[in-house]
Amino acid sequence: MIVAEQKPLAEMKTLINGAENVLVVGCGTCVTVCFAGGTREADIVSTSLRMATKLDGSPQQVTHSTVQRQCEWEYLDIIEEQVKAADIVLSLGCGIGVQAIAEHFPDAWVVPGLNTSFLGLPTEHGVWEERCAACGECLLAVTGGICPVARCSKSLLNGPCGGSENGHCEIDPDVACAWQLIVDRMSSKGKLDALLEIQPPKNWQNSRDGGPRKIVRQDLRLVEFED
Amino acid sequence: MSDDTFEPEILAFCCHYCAYAAADLAGSMRLDYPSSIKVVELPCTGKLDARYALRAFEDGADGIMVAG
Repeated sequence: MIVAEQKPLAEMKTLINGAENVLVVGCGTCVTVCFAGGTREADIVSTSLRMATKLDGSPQQVTHSTVQRQCEWEYLDIIEEQVKAADIVLSLGCGIGVQAIAEHFPDAWVVPGLNTSFLGLPTEHGVWEERCAACGECLLAVTGGICPVARCSKSLLNGPCGGSENGHCEIDPDVACAWQLIVDRMSSKGKLDALLEIQPPKNWQNSRDGGPRKIVRQDLRLVEFED
Repeated sequence: MSDDTFEPEILAFCCHYCAYAAADLAGSMRLDYPSSIKVVELPCTGKLDARYALRAFEDGADGIMVAG
């Protein structure tokens, strides 16, 4: 899932400063399950902003609504009237959600209420960890299902490095050495020899280094063919 | 309003199975408590949500009490 966390209330107040009507938009997908921007959080944020701005002596009208998925335009039609009525839309979606609202409603002014953090999973209640860097060329088959791009501090393709200390990374004793995990995993599967094969330099053009990415599936496109 | 006349509005969220029953019993025993305390029955205090507390404060409560 996409993991995000809320911006501090003071920052949200600054972002909506000057607006008379504010619409807080939650998202029912990733940020709901990481407790950052679902229905409940949208309600709490809007109530908190109403009270905070009232205490400041300049009360703002703050309402909230949550869509099933902010990152697809079709799901945004349902809030069209509310967006039109608002001076500012405070999105509690990830960065994709913020941009989807801004693209779908060009007249709206949309600001982010969350900081989008990473692609990850919950490892225990209240703890989320990064697992994928969306590098565009998955290596998990050769590393036993443990991603060195996302989980090794240096994103080494051949590891571990000299900074691996008793299974932990030199940058922080709380960070597991991804390559220690990989070695342990491959050993347990009897496939340690596979790591003797040196991984060549990765094509980072498929990652962010190649600029903004785009996938086009001609078989799925709705195109009108000319005669 | 001076401090000696201030009577806070308190919203008391009470569990159906214990605190609310106790409040009920208090009524049966003709015990009284200030009218500024408003009791809200919950099926369980586990049902209490931060949203309820925030809404109470927003609507003018000076404090909330959770009893369960």
